[in-house]
Amino acid sequence: MMKKQIKVIFRHIILAFLAAVWLIPILWLVVTSFSKYKGINTMSFFPEEWSFDNYAQLFFRPDTVANFPAWFKNSMLIGVFSCLISTSFVLMTAYAMSCMRFKARKPLMSFSVILGMFPGVLSMIAIYFVMKLLGLSNSITGLIIIYSAGSGLGYLICKGFFDTIPVSLRESARLEGASEFTIFTRIVIPLSRPIIVYTVINSFLAPWMDFVMAKLMIRSKDPVDWTVAMGLFNLVQRTLVGNYFTIFCAGGVMIAIPISVLFVLMQKFYVEGITGGAVKG
Amino acid sequence: MKKYFSDFKTAVKNGDWWTRLSLLVMGAGYFGRKQIVKGILMTAIEIGAVLFTVLFSLPYMEKLGTLGTVQREEILDPATLQKTVNDYDNSLLILLGGIIGILFLLAFVLLYISNLKAVYRLQQMKESGKHINTFREDCTQLVNGKFYVTLLTLPGLGVLLVNIIPIIFMVCIAFTNYDMDHQPPSFLFTWVELRNFKELFTSTATVTFGYVFIRILFWTLIWAGLATATTYFGGILLAKFINHKKTRGKKLWRTLFVVTIAIPQFVTLLLVGKMFSDYGIVNSICSRIGLTGFLKDIGLVSEGLSYIPFLSKPGWAHVMIVLINIWVGVPYQMLIATGILMNIPEDQLESAKIDGANEFQIFWKITMPYMLFVTGPSLITSFIGNINNFNVIYLLTSDYVTGNMKFANSNAKEVDLLVTWLFTLTNDYSNYKMASVIGICVFVICAAITLLSFSRMVAGNKEEEFQ
Repeated sequence: MMKKQIKVIFRHIILAFLAAVWLIPILWLVVTSFSKYKGINTMSFFPEEWSFDNYAQLFFRPDTVANFPAWFKNSMLIGVFSCLISTSFVLMTAYAMSCMRFKARKPLMSFSVILGMFPGVLSMIAIYFVMKLLGLSNSITGLIIIYSAGSGLGYLICKGFFDTIPVSLRESARLEGASEFTIFTRIVIPLSRPIIVYTVINSFLAPWMDFVMAKLMIRSKDPVDWTVAMGLFNLVQRTLVGNYFTIFCAGGVMIAIPISVLFVLMQKFYVEGITGGAVKG
Repeated sequence: MKKYFSDFKTAVKNGDWWTRLSLLVMGAGYFGRKQIVKGILMTAIEIGAVLFTVLFSLPYMEKLGTLGTVQREEILDPATLQKTVNDYDNSLLILLGGIIGILFLLAFVLLYISNLKAVYRLQQMKESGKHINTFREDCTQLVNGKFYVTLLTLPGLGVLLVNIIPIIFMVCIAFTNYDMDHQPPSFLFTWVELRNFKELFTSTATVTFGYVFIRILFWTLIWAGLATATTYFGGILLAKFINHKKTRGKKLWRTLFVVTIAIPQFVTLLLVGKMFSDYGIVNSICSRIGLTGFLKDIGLVSEGLSYIPFLSKPGWAHVMIVLINIWVGVPYQMLIATGILMNIPEDQLESAKIDGANEFQIFWKITMPYMLFVTGPSLITSFIGNINNFNVIYLLTSDYVTGNMKFANSNAKEVDLLVTWLFTLTNDYSNYKMASVIGICVFVICAAITLLSFSRMVAGNKEEEFQ
């Protein structure tokens, strides 16, 4: 009995240790964002003097390199629109591939797998030229198109989920005279809440996390036109990091809070989404 | 394929004059069967296609063979003191416009052939006295039997715009000499056949691409294997640990780890990169507790350094990158594994226990085979994802300077993956031709891996089993 008790305690100690390892960088991010000294604190983990000034500067004193309110607005716009477009594209493609049968279906599926194997980094430059040709480089609209237009290719997980919806449901609806459109909107979509949440979260977050594509597309030198990721990335470049590192940390915390809340609330759906789709490949 | 064209031939041969007129005016066949709206639409598409080709893409397609011959020149007009620019060719626009024009023509030819066949079918229906759809009925077809056309049109156009056209474009670039010295609009570039591919596999004193390519390829594969395996097993073990019957507060533990996913990767990676930099906080703590000195004594850190080169020397950096990637990837895998572990049939575990299997045996004989069966395909996806894992490497090694001349000659670093090398070549050195060649190599590698292990998924034979 005693031995079992020790084992249980030991188990929790290991877990606590692991959690600590995983949380130390996060803790450092948070405490550094409250530091009065603006550069990287290399001598001690906790700042020597604490202050809220970084947050005040972040929100109320935008300058020529850091303009968080504008970045946040831009990223929000891009996130919302590309999330709407991507989610509908993914659902549409997945329904066509999973629930309908037509001649070009299998060739299209193989083709999409092949397309997915080209490294994304390769086509980035070319996408820039295409957007320039269309006159959409250097604009928010262009970025929204880039983040959402190709999303149809990411239909596989969602298709896996649709595959698990009993075919008899659709069949009986068809017997009652429902059109494919009705089946799609009234039967399949209401049953797919986990996968929709999963797709929405993923496509909303993509623009917040990406800085390479944004940096390539937005050539403007004025921080008003940047996204959060671009702006924060710029703050830790060698010339700025000495004066803006704590601002970077504060910005990181500020975007992490809404996303963490979203994640923790949606955790259940998220897990169901990944596994429900992945199980059936 | 053969049938496709032979059908076209029979349609032309057996068609009445309405059908044959459709060879010229695409809508004619529909007018003849009283499908006026459809006829107008088809004819409008035809006119639009001709206008597009003549006005936009034909000038580009004409020059596609040479990619332009007239170089840009500025002439200062002495009378007005203004610079005038000659009517120069822009190789980049020619290539891009040419590709778009060709794709468009291809699509139009396909539409043209299908159109004629459709018109012929209409003629047959008319002859046998079958019902011919009104325009309204055609429209309802689009939300019913042909709903997939409606569904796939927009996503398909999107993929064409940001995937297909750019990929074709970059593949073409691999066969040109587009680099720093041949940048439009000031200069022209042109076709060079396979010269770039030869360069990638040559190693001389000045051209070191061959040597560097092999080294980076090797590291890319090792990295992808290690990164996939460590995060995969780490995730499963952590999930097992948290979901164990005796663990209290499962949800709390899970949330603690999930928080790390929620912070954008580029923030955490830049932050961790700064923590482990040469004069960063980890180094100052290490030297304070004497770890730096100890590592020097046993020879892991060379004598001349006053810090541990976590992310600035080969070897150290390779190990650190894999370790930091474990930190990044395990919570995510843990979430996935949690979901799957919950689905393991409970009775199997029970009966194994009754038969006297210990926990270790249960894990290896029941849990792991089940996990592998379920997550097998996603394991390969994540291996390929890691070959293309740009963020981790790029963000962690932005301060890394290579000491190897052969790497420096090819603008590479020891810790580069093929994709980060590709990115540096395009972004910092405008060496588009070599970047494209490398990109094609990455594609070939990924395609080979996928085909070898994964063809079952593409075939999708089993998808109906679960419905």
